Amino acid sequence: MSATAAELLVGASTDFLTHFSPFNRMEPTALSYLAQHAVLAFHSRGSAILTPEMGVPRNFYIIQRGKVQARQTGAATVTEYASLSMGAGECFPIGAISAQRPSTNAYVAVEDTFCFQITAEEFLHLMQISPAFHLFCTQYIASLLNQSRQQLQTTFSQRAAEQQTMTTPLGQLLTREPTFVAPHTRTRDALEKMNELRIGCMVIADDKQRPLGILTQSDILPRIVLAGFDLERPIGEVMTANPHQLPATSSAYDAALEMATHGVRHLLVVDADLKLKGVISERDLFALQRISLRQIRAGIENAGDVSALQRASKDIRQLALNLIAQGIGAEQLTQFISALNDALTRRIIELALDRHDLLGIDFGWFAFGSEGRHEQTLSTDQDNGIIWRCPELQEVEAVRKRLLAFAREINESLAACGFPLCKGNIMASNPELCLTLDEWKERFGDWIREPDPQALLNASIFFDFRVLYGNERLGDQLRAWLNKLSRTSTNFLRMMAANALQVPPPLGRIRDFVVEDDGTIDLKKCGARLFVDAARIIALRTGVDSSSTVQRLRQASGKMGVAAEEVSAIIDGFHFIQLLRLRSQHLETEHDADGDNRIDPEKLNELDRRILKEAFRQARKLQLRLKLDYQL
Amino acid sequence: MNWISRIIGGRSDTQALAPGIAETLAHWQSLPDTDLGRAHFETRYVVLNTEATGLDLDRDRLLAVGAIGIDGGLVSPQDSYYAPLDPAPALALSNLLTFVRKAPLVVFNAAFNLGMLEPVIEDRLGVSLDGQPIDLYFLLPALFSELHGSPVRLADWMSAFGIETFQRHHALGDGWAIAQLFLAAQARGLAQGAHSPRALLELERSYRQYRRKA
Repeated sequence: MSATAAELLVGASTDFLTHFSPFNRMEPTALSYLAQHAVLAFHSRGSAILTPEMGVPRNFYIIQRGKVQARQTGAATVTEYASLSMGAGECFPIGAISAQRPSTNAYVAVEDTFCFQITAEEFLHLMQISPAFHLFCTQYIASLLNQSRQQLQTTFSQRAAEQQTMTTPLGQLLTREPTFVAPHTRTRDALEKMNELRIGCMVIADDKQRPLGILTQSDILPRIVLAGFDLERPIGEVMTANPHQLPATSSAYDAALEMATHGVRHLLVVDADLKLKGVISERDLFALQRISLRQIRAGIENAGDVSALQRASKDIRQLALNLIAQGIGAEQLTQFISALNDALTRRIIELALDRHDLLGIDFGWFAFGSEGRHEQTLSTDQDNGIIWRCPELQEVEAVRKRLLAFAREINESLAACGFPLCKGNIMASNPELCLTLDEWKERFGDWIREPDPQALLNASIFFDFRVLYGNERLGDQLRAWLNKLSRTSTNFLRMMAANALQVPPPLGRIRDFVVEDDGTIDLKKCGARLFVDAARIIALRTGVDSSSTVQRLRQASGKMGVAAEEVSAIIDGFHFIQLLRLRSQHLETEHDADGDNRIDPEKLNELDRRILKEAFRQARKLQLRLKLDYQL
Repeated sequence: MNWISRIIGGRSDTQALAPGIAETLAHWQSLPDTDLGRAHFETRYVVLNTEATGLDLDRDRLLAVGAIGIDGGLVSPQDSYYAPLDPAPALALSNLLTFVRKAPLVVFNAAFNLGMLEPVIEDRLGVSLDGQPIDLYFLLPALFSELHGSPVRLADWMSAFGIETFQRHHALGDGWAIAQLFLAAQARGLAQGAHSPRALLELERSYRQYRRKA
């Protein structure tokens, strides 16, 4: 009898739920599970239903009637909403309960509100039994990802706008502390200081730091060298007195006008007390103007020497910043960077070919590692090699010698253009990496047949090869051969998998993240690499030709029978980590430090932290797949 | 105010009870009384509602009973009971008592509902519900005077709270609405310092006294 009563009430709940998405799309068994377990509670106006302080949420709520407001509680407002009103049929929390961590929002009833609730265990069970509900939750989390990307764009477009408009106050353009000397300083000392600091001009100021004069590089020749000026005499005698000055509050445009009017290349910037704040040069103002992709490309292709390419390499960095500002996602961004770096490398190779006679030698320039995967970020060192075929009637070692000399020049030019020499000597100028097709096969074959730790490490670098210049067919042949061999080498793949599983995602049981001693997470080692390693193994097993992580996952998903949404979620996670890496590199390169892939999760905003955790969970999912596949 | 139950002595017209039912009753009688001083979140209340052929206590007949448990402020569809009296009234009623246990009762309009139910229970089972129920008919205007200052019909309270139910004038259907009203009443009571069944009963009683004086 009482079953009848329960059925009546469950029927009433079901009826209610079917009026709302995603419940109306849910499978009948899942819906009935939900209706059977949903209990009703009341929350009077003004009462908190769920707050971050309550810890890991124990219940999932569906509003039956009333209104609930979700408020961001972190210091920074991160989503597009500061607070969000929710009504009947809407549910919360989704991210927090799936990730089993405290909510980042406070949910408060703003009217008398009735909510159905199920326990966290029931929620997780529902996710398991209902693909529709699972999809809804995944998409919800993905929409957070989108929001974060938009927010990232806003931040960057603000920064870009600040940096790049001609209305920027001069005070904001100054990057270094002012350098100056007293008028009685010996001219020799002043010039030595200029030389030492590599600055184009020296300011002479009084003891209250008020500018008295200036001496620029272009003054040195006529006034000092040709005039035979005694370097022991004070600089005050040779400076240009009453230099052009502008207050720190005037704009970049004012400065450009002042320079054009007076025909000067330097302007002194002073504060309200006329104290020297710094020097603005013509070059500083030029840097404000946007650099276009086309200009950089043209610049690279027309570059006649390495120094022209050095400028292009700087422009690439600047462009990357602009692209983020324009809202380009990590995938496209890394592809752009990769394309431009490829163009740069190709031009360097072309320039080197002018000086090296390699006529008749069939070769391909290999990119390995992140460059091979088209996943270059801004601070990547060189990873390259050469594959070649020995022309008939020529002696192998003699040809190799010529190729090595050629490679050495390229490696050095690349280093001059901001790609540091590889510490591990993974460079084409290393005889071990300047191999014929057959030698490469032999090398790869050894690693696969005897997968010791070093071989596995090598495989993780070299198997991501790509021909960047020269005969691509050589690379294709090697790839086809490699895929065929590794697909049948289960033991090798299994050991690769075991190796890939050695670093788990830095997810904590108690705290959100497991950080290193300095409180940071290495996004390369503990983030991106987890995706990259897993994708490589999956590609080798399924015979995917691509060397890019995303392409590998996408192409393999069909062959593995994994749902497209699931793969998309994994790829989103990977992109998000890449985006964070790029961003931290940007912020750091502006302080002239090398981007080192470290982030402090505490310094991320609420939303980014939340999504980063989600991204790591995707990595865990991918690892779990490997674990199951190879029974590790 | 306690759930004192007793077998009414000297009622020779009480039908002989089936053995299973007698046992059920004996078990029910042996249950300890609920401590009415406990907080809402530690208390299981039971909403009790009836369905009759009409509204006249003298002429109309009880058709069905419905009950919904409210345990710790939560209404669970699993914790519910509904039974028509036909064809086995003694069984329907003894199962109702088993479901209720000694929980404090919540009704809307005790005069009618218990007026309808109690005589039938006494007649069929020979026991009596002797506790005082919480009557939302009086408690709601006491708590939500801004909505309705004096006792009004269930339909008026439902529309004031926007509460709907799957079937009106059905013992369980109306019970579902009453249960939701009681959730609201619990929360409002708590906000006014009435955190136990006893406190709610006192609120209700003083409201009645105040009405009588007014």
